[in-house]
Parts: sequence; structure tokens; C-alpha cells
Amino acid sequence: MPAAQQRDRRLDFFRGLALIFIFIDHIPENIFSYFTVQAFQFYDAAEIFIFISGYTAALVYGRTLALQGASYATARIISRAWQLYVAHIFLFVIFIAEVSYTVTTFKNPMYNDEMRVGDFLDEPHVAIVKALFLEFQPTFLDILPLYILLLTIFPIILFGLRLHPPLVLIPSFLLYFGVQVTDISVPAYPEGHVWFFNPLAWQFLFIAGAALGLDGMRGDRWLRFERAALPIAALVVGAASLVKLSWTIHGIWDPFPGLFLKELWPINKNNLSPIRLVPFFAALAVIAVIVKRDAIFLRLPLTKPLVLCGQQSLEIFCLGILLSALGHFVLSEYNSGIVTQGFVNLAGILIMCLTAKMIDWYKSVGRMAPSQVIEVRPPGADLGGR
Amino acid sequence: MISSRFVGKSALLLAGALSAAALPPLPRALGEPAECEAPDELMHIDDKLPRLAERLHANEPVKIVAIGGASTTGLAAGSSELAYPHRLQEILIRWYPSSPITVVNRGIPRQTAQQMLERFPTDVIPEDPVLVIWETGTTDAVRGVGVDDFAAALQTGIDDLKARSIDIMLVDMQFSHSTVTVIDFEGYLNALHRVGDVNDVNVFPRFEMMRYWSEQNVFNFDGVAKDERAGLAAKVYDCIARKLAAAIRIALR
Repeated sequence: MPAAQQRDRRLDFFRGLALIFIFIDHIPENIFSYFTVQAFQFYDAAEIFIFISGYTAALVYGRTLALQGASYATARIISRAWQLYVAHIFLFVIFIAEVSYTVTTFKNPMYNDEMRVGDFLDEPHVAIVKALFLEFQPTFLDILPLYILLLTIFPIILFGLRLHPPLVLIPSFLLYFGVQVTDISVPAYPEGHVWFFNPLAWQFLFIAGAALGLDGMRGDRWLRFERAALPIAALVVGAASLVKLSWTIHGIWDPFPGLFLKELWPINKNNLSPIRLVPFFAALAVIAVIVKRDAIFLRLPLTKPLVLCGQQSLEIFCLGILLSALGHFVLSEYNSGIVTQGFVNLAGILIMCLTAKMIDWYKSVGRMAPSQVIEVRPPGADLGGR
Repeated sequence: MISSRFVGKSALLLAGALSAAALPPLPRALGEPAECEAPDELMHIDDKLPRLAERLHANEPVKIVAIGGASTTGLAAGSSELAYPHRLQEILIRWYPSSPITVVNRGIPRQTAQQMLERFPTDVIPEDPVLVIWETGTTDAVRGVGVDDFAAALQTGIDDLKARSIDIMLVDMQFSHSTVTVIDFEGYLNALHRVGDVNDVNVFPRFEMMRYWSEQNVFNFDGVAKDERAGLAAKVYDCIARKLAAAIRIALR
């Protein structure tokens, strides 16, 4: 975007990293998940993804709102939500194909009484309609519905935040707090299920991201406050990391003690428990101070692929979900040895990065002004072929 | 996925070297079929079964209730005589001849942990068991019950049994390599093992054991004719019973 102000590469970098982590963490029993953020933090890539998505949504659509007005900004947001929706349905179709195929060709009698197609798809006609309404959310297809819902209501959030941030932030926090106290959830399909990512709780993270993003357009005003809070934030991050790391090690090697395991476990992800949220904000404050907007490492060739992944987040997210399903299939079908695991992870990350590179190229050519396009073309090329 | 307890073979690679030395070797039943063979590191039996030990020590009658799903009923093998609870009873009677031992089968296919928990007052408690073997998790994973709800049901059940001074042994899911591609067991396995961990309750690692057998190609249903599958299922249940008996014996030490 030539007219846009300098893009904050930190956002792209960390979102790209989150997408790679989501890919790795979604392959069950993947040894490389020991090296993703959830191994030593109470939060995981989902928090990073939702927060940055809120932040960038405010940056991008806040600019549209300022330059092109409310109607156009709304239309752009809704069109993005529609894109996400189509992507979600696409992933759903692939999931259904996989389940139907596996369950109907099942040969193991020890499982015939335990699971039937009916358990997945009791009434296929209802299930498909419920999927269209985002109420049917099979495993791993649960984060996009949250994102779609949040974007759909985003115009109102954005207008409110522009008008007077506390007008949105206070109700948003109260709702989050209400969920922690009352444990209310949003029902899903089939009967008795709830939205895995409870939108009533997770909206707060997205909106907090949006509020900071909108604020960030006016420069790093908070940096002074963040510097002051740094010691406390660093303490929280350090303590939380220590505790979580001890759980991870305890999981691998039983004699190692899991600190406060009995007191703190389980930590509710559905409702974004404060035990996840507080260390996340603490880590955010630390990173915002330590990693400068123009940090050198964000411009190194080594981090470039991650930045690109973060810039093409929708495509790379969907691809990552597909690749982790495929990777899981390879590992369970052929060999789950450490060499194969390494190969599967590496191949997946490579495919994600190359795809991001390709999409970036495709979009950049599309964005070029016609005069530039002519320059790139070999002489005598047909100008009407676009 | 949050992998608190890492249930992979990869974990074995890491943990095996560290903990193998610390674990006592599993007792092998005389004449155990070679196909039941599994590495000792799979079993982490660190907690005791004090009430069962007391009864056996005093040569008093022992009643064990096995509550669970389809794999507890043993329907796949053709009869409840071939299910793991009955096989377990036969093995324990052989090992501890001075106590009359019964293992009651309370399996009902396709129930979640919560549904099993609701059967405790009718199916489990009236039997006055000294040990409850609770095989669960499969239906929860198939239906995608919330992992926290699953953990909460387990916790309630454990609290109830502990309050009644009943020993507990949890049994995790069955492994089959075609199911793991469509069902995400990991979260449920982690939750089940962690609930066992924080409550000092043993978990019998059926999933890992069956995965090991599957990888060794010991029990592979893929190339087996339809009428021979029940026989193969019976063999698997028999091995499970043998390993479970061995786990109980470790916990009685």
C-alpha cells in the first residue's frame, strides 16, 4: 500500500509466528510443540492471533473510516468477514469429507460400538445448515467462527472506539468479567455443545487489541506508561513462564514437580481465564518496550518469511489448518518417528512461507499502477490481456 | 494443543531414557502371550491401592467394579466372558487364591464420563466395591464434549469414590490408527492423565499400549477378514486384562 503509513512489522512478524505455532500445535503429539509459546506460557498462539487481528483491523479500517467514511468502512469490514466465512465453509467441507470417508470404511470392530457416523453427523442436513450458521464447529474449525463474528460486529466497535474508547472498553470488560463469574456460554450444535472460543469472553481481547491499534495510529503514547509498568510485567511474565515450564517438564518427566499444578489446573481456555489473559498482557507490555518498531531483526532475510505469513494471515491460517490435518495423517498413517516429524513440520512451514511469498507477489503485481506494469512487460506484449 | 502430559511415542523417546532406570520391571504373568509384550516405560504406576491391599492381605473377599464403555462390555469379542473385566478376574483369582475376587462388568456403550458418573449411585456404589476401574474418554472425544467438562466429571467421580474410601484406577481410550485421524484424543488424554496425576490416582495407559501394538503390527485389523475380527478383538482384550493385572500388582507393592 504505497499511500499507507509505515507498516508496523512487529504485528506481521508476531502474527506470522502465531500462525506457524498454530500449525505446529494442531498436529497432535507433535514433539515440536515443545518449542511453541504454549510450552512455557499460559496463553497460546490463539491469543496472539486474536489480539493482533483486532489491532490490525483497527489500523486498517480505522484509516478507511477516516479517509472514506463510515459506509465504505462498514462495507469493507463486512466483505472481509464474508471472505472469512467462505474460507470457513471450505475447511468444513474438507473436514466432513475426511470424517465420512474414515468412519464409513472402518474395519475395527473394537470401535464400531463406540463411534458411528451418527456421532459426527447425526442428521447431515441439520449439521450442514448448523455449520452455515456457525453453530456446528468441529475440532480445529472453532477459531474462524469467532473471528467472523467479531468482524461482523466490528463496525459498531470501531465507531464507538473512535467516538470515545471507554464507551466500548468498559462494557466489553464487564462482559468478560461477567463470563468469568457466571460462566455463561454460547450454545452450539449438537445439543449441549458450546462455542469453543466463547465470544462473550474472547471479544475483550479483540476489542482491547483494536483500542490499542486505534491508539497506536497516534504514535506510541503508552510507551511511557509501559516503561513504568515494565518491572511488574516482567515479574508476571517470569513467574508465569516458570510455572508453566515446570508443568511442561512434569508432563515429559514425571518426577519433576509441576509447580502449583494442583491449585491452578485446569486453566479454562474457552472463557479466556485471567490466568491466560494477565500473563498475555504482561508479555505484550514487555515485548512492546523491548522490541522496537524499527528493530533490525524484523528486516533480516531470516524473518522475512514470517512477516510475509503474517501479512497474508487469512490464507496462511487456512493453509496451516489443512497442512496440520495432512501432517497428522502422514504421521499416523506412515511413521511418527522424530525424523518424519521433523520433515512434516519443516515441509509445512516451508509450504506456508512459499505460499505467503506467492500471494505477496500476486497482490503486489495487482497493486502496481498501469504505467509500472507496462515497464515490467516485455516490449510488444498485449496490453489488453489483464 | 496444550500438551501437558505428552502422550506420544516421541515422549517415550525423551522420558524413556530418564525414567526407565527408576521404574521396577513389570511382573510378567507366566505364559503371557508374546504379542502382549510392551515396553515397561509405558506404565507409570506410582500410586498405591491401599484398600485393595488391605483386603487381599486379610484374605477377605474383594469386589471390583469395572465401569466403562463398549470396550468394557466386550461386545466386539462376542461375549462378556472375553471382555477385559472377566479376564482380569480370572487372572487375579489365580494370583491371589486366598481371597474370593469378583470383577463386575458395568460397561454401557457410548456414554460420556458425565453419563457414567450419573450411573455411580445405581451401578457402582450398591456393589460396595473396594476398587473401581473407570474406563472413559472415548465418547467424550467422539462427541467433542468440552475438555474442561470432561475433567470436571472425572474430578467429581474421583471425589465421590475417595469420600467412600474406594480405590480407583482410571483407564484411558483405545487406540486405533484410523480413528486418530478423525478424533482429536490428545486434549482428553492429557486431561485424563492430569486428573489422575493431581489426584494421585493411577491411569492405565491403554492408548499408548495399543498404539505400541499397532506400530509393532501385532494387532492390525486392516487386513483381517470380517469373521476373524472378533477373535482378534478377544486377543486384544486379553492382553489389556493381563497388563491391567500387572499394573494392579505394581500398585499393591
